[in-house]
Amino acid sequence: MKAFELIRPTTLDQALGLLPNAADRERIRVVSGGQDLYTEMKDHLAQPDQLIDLKRLPGLDRIEVDAAGNVSIGALVTIAALTEHAPLRSKLATIAEAADSIASTQIRNVGTVGGNLNQRPRCWYYRHEGANCLKKGGTVCFSKEGLNKYNAILGGGPSYIVHPSDLAPALVCAGAEVVLVKKGSSRTLPLEKYYTLPSEGDPLRETVLAPDEILTHVKIPAPAVGWRSTYIKFKERGSFDFALSAVAAGLVIEGGNIKEARLVLGGVAPIPWRASSAEAKLAGLKPETAAWKEAAEIALRRAEPLSDNEYKVALTKNLIERAFSRISR
Amino acid sequence: METRTNSAGPQWGPRESLTLLNHNLRRVDGPEKVTGRARYTHDIRLPGMVYARLLLCPLPNAEVELDCSAALKLPGVVAAQAIGDKTALKAGFLGQPIAVVAAQTPELAEDALRAIVAKYKPLAWSVTKEQALAPDAGKACKGGNLGEERTKGDEDKFKAVFEKCDARIEAQYSLPVQHHCSLETHGVVVDFRGGEEATVYASTQGTFTIPDEAADALGLKSGKVTAVVEYMGGGFGSKFGLGAEGLAACRLAKELKRPVHLMLTREDEFLAGGNRSAASVKVRAGAAEDGTLTALWSEALRMGGVGGGSFSGLPYIYKVSDSDGVRSSVRSLFTHTDSSRAMRAPGHPQASFAMESALDELAYKLGIDPLTMRKKNLENMVYHRQLDRAAERIGWTRHANKTAPQSKADSDGTKTGIGFAISTWGGGGGKECEVKVTIGRDGALDAIVGTQDLGNGTRTYVAAIAAEEFGLPLAAASAHIGNSKYGRANASGGSTTTASLAPAVKDAAFNAAQAFLKHLAETTKRPVEELAFRGGSLVEASGGKALMTWKEACATLGTAGLSADGEWQSSLASNGVHGAQAAKVRVDLATGRVSVVQMVGVQDCGLPLNRSAVESQLNGGMIQALSYALHEERVIDAELGIMLNANLNDYKIAGCQEMPELVPLIDDDDIGRGVVGMAEPAITPGHSAIANAIFNACGVRLRSLPFTADKVLDGLTALALDGGAK
Repeated sequence: MKAFELIRPTTLDQALGLLPNAADRERIRVVSGGQDLYTEMKDHLAQPDQLIDLKRLPGLDRIEVDAAGNVSIGALVTIAALTEHAPLRSKLATIAEAADSIASTQIRNVGTVGGNLNQRPRCWYYRHEGANCLKKGGTVCFSKEGLNKYNAILGGGPSYIVHPSDLAPALVCAGAEVVLVKKGSSRTLPLEKYYTLPSEGDPLRETVLAPDEILTHVKIPAPAVGWRSTYIKFKERGSFDFALSAVAAGLVIEGGNIKEARLVLGGVAPIPWRASSAEAKLAGLKPETAAWKEAAEIALRRAEPLSDNEYKVALTKNLIERAFSRISR
Repeated sequence: METRTNSAGPQWGPRESLTLLNHNLRRVDGPEKVTGRARYTHDIRLPGMVYARLLLCPLPNAEVELDCSAALKLPGVVAAQAIGDKTALKAGFLGQPIAVVAAQTPELAEDALRAIVAKYKPLAWSVTKEQALAPDAGKACKGGNLGEERTKGDEDKFKAVFEKCDARIEAQYSLPVQHHCSLETHGVVVDFRGGEEATVYASTQGTFTIPDEAADALGLKSGKVTAVVEYMGGGFGSKFGLGAEGLAACRLAKELKRPVHLMLTREDEFLAGGNRSAASVKVRAGAAEDGTLTALWSEALRMGGVGGGSFSGLPYIYKVSDSDGVRSSVRSLFTHTDSSRAMRAPGHPQASFAMESALDELAYKLGIDPLTMRKKNLENMVYHRQLDRAAERIGWTRHANKTAPQSKADSDGTKTGIGFAISTWGGGGGKECEVKVTIGRDGALDAIVGTQDLGNGTRTYVAAIAAEEFGLPLAAASAHIGNSKYGRANASGGSTTTASLAPAVKDAAFNAAQAFLKHLAETTKRPVEELAFRGGSLVEASGGKALMTWKEACATLGTAGLSADGEWQSSLASNGVHGAQAAKVRVDLATGRVSVVQMVGVQDCGLPLNRSAVESQLNGGMIQALSYALHEERVIDAELGIMLNANLNDYKIAGCQEMPELVPLIDDDDIGRGVVGMAEPAITPGHSAIANAIFNACGVRLRSLPFTADKVLDGLTALALDGGAK
């Protein structure tokens, strides 16, 4: 790891004042739990001169639920704290279950919500210093023709990474927004719009976060009456692993029919993949196996598997069916 | 047990008479390890010590030019040089050490490593089987990538037998490179500060494999280097001798005249710390209607990088009834990757997988249950006994689908199956160890020998054998091991340590007891045949009347105490072990997840010195095999020539969530034998049993490790297309 200067601001204003301009964004980085960034630094993928440690900023480590049931989660809330928050688990199961599925106990104790949403891809070409891939400023995505068992089947090209966050699909499923703050202003946008496909945005990044912004909060609207949701993550190794495929699903059933459905996929696309057509198809149908199968077909209709990951299509369809079955029982 | 004067020499005695051996003993060094007080090589810190690191070649085959001048200029860096002092060299495998640096801290050493300017001219390489077999392949071996073919049997005779078989199968089985993944990486700390002598702390499987090599590298006289192996964090066959890292550390220490700490990083360990060779095996097998195996043809490639690899040959254990029906060939396929090394039962897991899979395929084809099929082709009744016990324990008799996969999934969308496999090993010993047992006036009982404890409990049984001789509790004896100044001992390879060492410890303890009895006879003026040690006390041999406590008896010794030497006694050891394992798996049809629910291992080992340790070896073997079965695989990109998973995130080993119920069963029907090593066969059958259980569950025959969800799902899809899935 390259030597760096650690700066530990104690107010948000101080921290914002330290943020870099575009030219310095690789040289000056923010860190909270560090579970991804430190790994990147050890692997020499990130080599900042300065780290701005956000852990001392007050007030960002709280989960707040207002009287109407709207939830605000500070960026410094740890994954472990999410798993332990009882109201969240009862009202927004998909988020608690996604948190449960993340990494290991040790990492959940240290890793934060902000860090989880902003982690970099896990593609083994990206993570290898010796492979100068598209995500590192090279010209080739090696996974396209290479060993791509873990890569994208949806939304791929020119890069075929999958977004590794478990919280992201769960939060998109819950309709979450993120608050991005910079000196003198802030903006709020749907989490879904926070992530960018490599074909649409800068292939070097996965989000629209500007170098002088900090993601401070995640806001989740109060769930609709009757809302039930779940997160099913398939890990190759159960003990700790990233998703081969994951499904965040939510439903409101009214009068025996589906009133509203949400379906967001993880581990299969460069962004948390909202299956809007499948959601639309489900509205009005009876909550039964045939409907889930149809939704699964629609959600994967545009899948373009690479040489080694065709299995993800069947796996994801089966997980979709399993997720909806679970919350419609 | 009771010890009397005895001219017949040492004997283990009837098992029921033993008070420590053949019991469950807690590790004597357990508290040291769990509290972190145990000092491993990695933990050694010495005054003036510098930290060294190796630069590994990032390409599989390249001409290299090194410029270390910038690295040398960094503050805190004391050395940066090419291995072998040649700045222009040819590197012939991915991860070959090419330079070494040393600095005041590990962080500075890493900076120094990155400051070396290396120019690489890539040469054509072969890192995969396909590359190595291509006509224009880069050559990883001077004579070509294919080694000499060793064949047995006759092709035409085989064909004649094969054609007459009632059931025939043809299949190709493959196993990837597996890594040892020892908790402690390879490395040494060389304590040389000038002068005539040095001490080398080493993470090694052989205390005595270090001193001569190190003396040579340090330019010291033979006998002037002491190796210390107080604690070591696992080797599994990969740690003998100094290795490239140890040699580099010695050379640096010689030059710098200060202690050098050189431990491989985890990435180094994957690239240059050895591995279990991959294998690709084509098999044709045939059997008669009644299940008799009559024909077996095999062609095995063993892929051990720049090394030859290992494959123990087919048929593996099972008998082929018609000797004309056997035809086998084995050859090495070389690639530009790190050489394979011995790894727990070298060659056996590979051969087991091909043999047990082929036999299983024939069984289902004939509609014979796989347990019956195995026994049909095993002459040795020990296997029948062990297989029956494993089958009984895992619930085979109650199992519904014995001759075909489960037809209908359970309500949770899973199917359950059971599979079997067996193992074999030598595990005998030899005249390798010189042990001293001493008794102090203060009552101290010490067993002293330079052997090493790889984590499997050697220290505990060395102390236990000494304590048992006098009927003392385990805590009354101490084992002093891991130092080349002590009596010689063999390196721990081939499961030969226990059968070589335990008899010598027993012999030394016996000799000490005899000498002590003689001394006490003189002291008490009684005939020696009237004296005995029982429960730690000196007693009258007949009647058992207590004469002296242990402390009182010891107090009669002179200030020097008493000491006796021991050496290997063939009567105390045996050779040859068997093993049978069964695995029960649950396959999730929706995700392809294979969950191993239970593994049962039945293992003979002659006299079990410490039942807990034997069970622990058996558990460890099953766990390592499970991990091999479900996850482990070295992944190298053929075009880029880089290893994509040289870390413990992407090179997956099974964790706690993968653990089944493990049932280790010591085969106590193995009576009347001395001690035999059993560590290696414990790993041999597990993955084969899991493969067979997967088929028994869902009808997917996986012929390539690891059995990951993608392969199961692809298999289920193929079955559905065949109309075979229900």
